Amino acid sequence: MSWSLFLLRRLAALVPTLAALSVLVFGATELLPGDAVGAVAGPDATEAERAAVRERLGLDDDPVTRYLRWAGGAVRGDLGTAYTGGRAVHELIASRLPHSLLLAGLALAVTVPLSIALGLWAGSRAGRRADRAVSTGVLLVAGLPEFVTATALWWLLAGELGLLPRVSLVPLGGSPLDTPEILVLPALTLAATGVAVGTRLVRSASAEAVASPWIEAARLRGVGGARLAVRHVLPGALAPATQAFGLITGALVGGAIVVETVYGYPGIGLELQQAVAHRDIPLVQGIALVLCAATLATVLLADLAARALDPRRGSLR
Amino acid sequence: MRPASPGTGAREALGPLAWCCAGVCLLVLAVAVLGPPLAPGSPTEQVGPPFAGPGAGLPLGTDFLGRDLAARLLHGGWVVLALAVGATALATLLGAGGGIWLGLAAGRGGEIVMRAVDLLAVFPPLLLMLLLATGAPAGDLAVLVAVGLAATPFSLRVTRAATRRVAATGYVLTARARGDGWTAVVRYDVLPNIAGTVLADAGIRFVAAVHLTATAGFLGLGRGAPDANWGRMIRENLPGAALNPLPVLLPAALLAAFAVAVNLLADRVAERVAGLDTSGSDG
Repeated sequence: MSWSLFLLRRLAALVPTLAALSVLVFGATELLPGDAVGAVAGPDATEAERAAVRERLGLDDDPVTRYLRWAGGAVRGDLGTAYTGGRAVHELIASRLPHSLLLAGLALAVTVPLSIALGLWAGSRAGRRADRAVSTGVLLVAGLPEFVTATALWWLLAGELGLLPRVSLVPLGGSPLDTPEILVLPALTLAATGVAVGTRLVRSASAEAVASPWIEAARLRGVGGARLAVRHVLPGALAPATQAFGLITGALVGGAIVVETVYGYPGIGLELQQAVAHRDIPLVQGIALVLCAATLATVLLADLAARALDPRRGSLR
Repeated sequence: MRPASPGTGAREALGPLAWCCAGVCLLVLAVAVLGPPLAPGSPTEQVGPPFAGPGAGLPLGTDFLGRDLAARLLHGGWVVLALAVGATALATLLGAGGGIWLGLAAGRGGEIVMRAVDLLAVFPPLLLMLLLATGAPAGDLAVLVAVGLAATPFSLRVTRAATRRVAATGYVLTARARGDGWTAVVRYDVLPNIAGTVLADAGIRFVAAVHLTATAGFLGLGRGAPDANWGRMIRENLPGAALNPLPVLLPAALLAAFAVAVNLLADRVAERVAGLDTSGSDG
């Protein structure tokens, strides 16, 4: 299959997938018996006030009409107005998303090289002591829930040692890059989990590659050490590992919600968590849709990278 | 040629590490399960100043509202573990049921269901949980259902693959040719062959479920204050960590020890059941 056909097919599949996910997002938040009116009108609103709120929010229409109105708006880039604060949802997302992307980018910049190096090193020694040490250590870190890692790092580095700020506040209208030290703890937490998961995946892919006949052939030709690892094992292991990094990026979305909440970092995850706490349905739906789209995009990017890196296709050069 | 298994010896003895992990699991389980009946005081009654250090009558000090930390610790584990067990059971039932059906009935309908399952798997689990928490009234059931649903696609894929392997061996074909009904085929030919895989997979799902239910508590989802919950205790007491670190460190240590031990154990068990995909556990 040629590249353009492959890309076209995958992009075409993206549209119905996102549409189906939007139905799920809308259905989960709108149709379940939560009390949106109570959240907006307040707990001691009169019946007339509640009716006025229902009228204003258009909650008396049937679900299909409401979904179509919401989805129609979303296609045009209008995700409605947040209940609390009254700002447009797409503006809120546009102001918070770059902060989260910066954090995810930093975490990936640490995660990818480190997990490839560690995974390759352990995978080439599958079953030996070094491999067991790395595998067990990585399993230990991967076993920790993100908020526990975050709390532990926060307590140690910001609390006891006082090296880093306790809260990742971004000045109003400023960028996190104005005060780069606030990025360290959130990025470190995300990277810790990412490296743990990534190393496991790269390790098992490398261990499988090492056991293959072509590596045996290379060994018999006298290739060894770093050259064997980088030139022979890595290309075979990288394609499956790339798809795994797509998974990790998906996990970063979940991790970001937790990590941003712990450190008070003003990204899209913190915004989502607060929107859920306030039952701000338009904001939750908008952010959820954007996160779904981001996850789909990463999966696609990872698949593209895996295809490009697969040595069997001969398209690496 | 069969690729060498990524682990060392799939058939070697469990080893001291695994026994340690089992011990830690049992210890934390004992605290969580035996804690509520054994706790001396009330977990919600104010007994002293906030963030007081350990002292007479208060072996571990107090939390941010001056409540007895020891009592809250003993009461707070139950909900996290019970929800995780419930969610794992839900995911395994749905996944095994759906997986067996899809593995045997490889028709057009099955393809469509698999597409829907793949769709659900795209959802980051935490996002699914937050969405259901927004729509449903605050309660533990929403957390249980969300965690269960998030794990179901992975369970289903594993069971489907295992069932297909069994279906391809010819037992099923022979049994069908003999005139056995589908229920008998599932009961006598399929289930005994996939039971190990399904149980090992349930272990992996349990690891993820413990993470998610603890995170739900941390994020304030599920039954709210004043009930004790290890996850939420960490969040509540974070501002006073400098005054008395115990209310943050102890629940974190219990959760961390349990999560790590279960993860190591599940990994050892999964290693023994060949062909199990463990990659979905970390989402």
